[in-house]
Amino acid sequence: MKSNHTVDLSMDFCGIKFKNPFLLSSSPVSNSAEMVEAAYEAGWSGVVFKTLNSDRIPIIHPSPRMNSYHYGHKRLVGLQNVEQISDRPLKHNLLDFLYLKKKYPDRVLISSIMGFSNAEWEYLAKVSEDNGADMLELNFSCPHMCVEGSGHHVGKAFDLIEKFTTTVKNAVSIPVLAKMTPNITDMTEPALYAKRGGADGIAAINTVSGISEVGLNDLVPKPNVFGIGAISGTSGPAIKPIGLRFIAEMATCKELNLPLSGIGGIETWVDALEYILLGSGPIQVTTGIIHYGYRIVEDMIEGLSDFMVEKGISSVGELVGKANANLKTTDHFELDRQGITQYDLDQCVGCGQCVIVCNDAAGQALDWDETTRRPHLIEDKCLSCMICSFICPVEGLITFKEMPRDWKRREAKIMDTSLEKDLKLSDYKDINIL
Amino acid sequence: MRNFDTFNTMKKGFSFSQAVAEADRCLLCHDAPCSKGCPADTEPAAFIRKLHLKNITGAIRTIKENNILGGACGILCPTDRLCEKECSAMLKSKNLPDGEDRAIRIGAIQRFLIEYAWDTGFRVLKKPEQNRETVAMVGSGPGGLSCAAELAQAGYRVTVFEARPEPGGVLRYGVAPFRFDETFLKKEIGDIQALGVVFKCNTRIEGEKGAEKLLDEGFSAVFLAPGLWKATPLKPDQVPIDGLLSSVDYLASLRDGRLEQTASQIEGKTVAVIGGGAVAMDCVETAVKLGARDVYLVYRRSYLQMPAEEKEIQSTLAGGLHFLLLNQPLDYFTDADNRMAGIKMIRTRLGDVDASGRRAPVEIPGSEWNLDADIVIEAIGNQAEDDSPNWYPGVETGADKRIKANPETGETSIKGIFAGGDIVRGPSLVVNAVRDGKAAALAIQQYLNKQEER
Repeated sequence: MKSNHTVDLSMDFCGIKFKNPFLLSSSPVSNSAEMVEAAYEAGWSGVVFKTLNSDRIPIIHPSPRMNSYHYGHKRLVGLQNVEQISDRPLKHNLLDFLYLKKKYPDRVLISSIMGFSNAEWEYLAKVSEDNGADMLELNFSCPHMCVEGSGHHVGKAFDLIEKFTTTVKNAVSIPVLAKMTPNITDMTEPALYAKRGGADGIAAINTVSGISEVGLNDLVPKPNVFGIGAISGTSGPAIKPIGLRFIAEMATCKELNLPLSGIGGIETWVDALEYILLGSGPIQVTTGIIHYGYRIVEDMIEGLSDFMVEKGISSVGELVGKANANLKTTDHFELDRQGITQYDLDQCVGCGQCVIVCNDAAGQALDWDETTRRPHLIEDKCLSCMICSFICPVEGLITFKEMPRDWKRREAKIMDTSLEKDLKLSDYKDINIL
Repeated sequence: MRNFDTFNTMKKGFSFSQAVAEADRCLLCHDAPCSKGCPADTEPAAFIRKLHLKNITGAIRTIKENNILGGACGILCPTDRLCEKECSAMLKSKNLPDGEDRAIRIGAIQRFLIEYAWDTGFRVLKKPEQNRETVAMVGSGPGGLSCAAELAQAGYRVTVFEARPEPGGVLRYGVAPFRFDETFLKKEIGDIQALGVVFKCNTRIEGEKGAEKLLDEGFSAVFLAPGLWKATPLKPDQVPIDGLLSSVDYLASLRDGRLEQTASQIEGKTVAVIGGGAVAMDCVETAVKLGARDVYLVYRRSYLQMPAEEKEIQSTLAGGLHFLLLNQPLDYFTDADNRMAGIKMIRTRLGDVDASGRRAPVEIPGSEWNLDADIVIEAIGNQAEDDSPNWYPGVETGADKRIKANPETGETSIKGIFAGGDIVRGPSLVVNAVRDGKAAALAIQQYLNKQEER
């Protein structure tokens, strides 16, 4: 066995032990025990099973269900889907619960449920607990349920969150997570409603409402469901920054103070670690699996283990929220400290993209030597935006360096000072509102 | 009857997603070396950027407007010596290993865009009203085709004269079909026909003053681009031998209806090809594919001195042949029925650098030996046809019978007669002939404008 396999990745979350922080989220990838079993065998420590329904309303998935958001040749930078909750009979799903708990007692089975009334929430919560679910996740956030009064409609009506959470908590003794929609401005507010309802933790984010593509010939937004498109859930790497933001905001909300399960654009151990460093407990994955399959967990386990060995960290719990100490609002920046880019031209390949972007999007701080095909930096024009370093094909060629405190940046050029005589301008006078 | 489908068909080019992926690798240089490296100014930097930004129609327009044979060049150009040579994506710099990454496959992207235009029916070039002077092209190879297309777009009435049954010149009769196939060629020439260019095939402009007479027959200007269609013989006084072929006739036989006949001549035989250039590689590779028992490439210098493109040599080697480097063929030997029996050879070593800039072969005394061969193909070089100067006696030619023309404009010593391509340059690349055709078209327009003013 390789040394990294000796690292203990287990973590405690809402009183439940997870052997590693990597879970399947409630989605097509957790649709049946047959699938979840394969995921367990690959190494996932648990599953949030595809959201149960009570058989009261037939669930029919639109066809086709998904659309990929490409960037250049890169596939699945984002994914849009119009999937509904589980279309399987409740009995089949619960039989699968029994199978999974019997065969994999050490893996965590989280039952995702969505009701349409207090009674239905209670019913689904109880049958889940009765058939082996270790936890519940309340789906307040599916952004494209065809049935009104469900999914993110609840997630946007905060009193309903509290009401349904209370109902569920009164019905079961297992821990309860509330899964939140990101299609709001401030997630701490509905999360606090969930807390008042008794939620033990928050899962976030569900998919971001979006449109991934419009058909240019048929003028139908995609996925094109027989001539009709719909605003629906967008997921994948493109939305990771949104997920990280909501997790960090909830993690730093002292009043909330609930364990979190981060979701949104996670494919690698680095993505997972970023969520954890910003306050997440076990993270959940769907789109990464849709893109690469269950096998990605092997790289998540190995990558996180090696990182912990390298940094001398003995438990994942130590990492939770570690980055939040350095997360502040922009008014905390020390603006008297300024820097510029520096170029290691020995590594330069002479493509000149830096010159293009600096001229067209930054400080016009680069000249181009046409003979040597190399950029020349005019230091006091550099804005330190760092755009050049983002497009430079050579890693580490362009870096940031701090300048002395007395260093001054040149002001942007005025094209024609003689126009001053035509200028219509008087000083702004602050209106005293008192 | 043998199935020649794979022999007659190119391998598929990039798919849409492959082309987009390759364009995504492009660094979109500020002053792109690729665009500076194209003799025909096809502007790869522009068409790759356009593809990258989903402006696919614009990318196709860039190619077609700059290089009417953009497809042929994308396939046949030795891109690693031209546009791809200084590609920044190879990440060459002082502190990085040379060629850490490979160049963008510009030729393959170029081919894709041209094929994509055909697949989607996107026509870039429109046929303008053609009410200006008539101009004659002598030869329908890349030089004549590019000159014709430029002039037709400028409103001139253009007639292309071609000696052989089908247009294309070297694009058809001088290249193996699996390297550049019939279907592709027909489509690319079809784009030129759609511009209103008239092709007169089976029409050889020869005989005393044959080309000059065109000026008296109503053509206001003539562009001479007949190419070089005589294979240079090993020995000038060579008597015919059964089984001794010239590269020119051998390659033409693969495309002019004689394929089956040539195939049966090659199959199971030992074939020796003399030469080290692109034509020799085509001869060798075709012989292998036609089922020769053994194929030898006989070359008097060594590997590094071969004029052929590296990737072409590699693909040929992988096909399974024997390189006989550092061997100078001296003469042939035959059986009693004057059938080829083999080559008398002498081994060589490399001496000092000669006028060609390469180390010269020096024969090693006493090292003569005989190579048995049933078929020998001479692919040493191409030269002008023997009587060609008579077709245009007023046009100044050199001792090698090549036409002396202004390298910038293609002007010859006769006003109104221009020339370009191999007949001026000597054996050269398709893209250089395209460049000559474009330049001559510009010069012809200027010349005709001046004539009008008078």
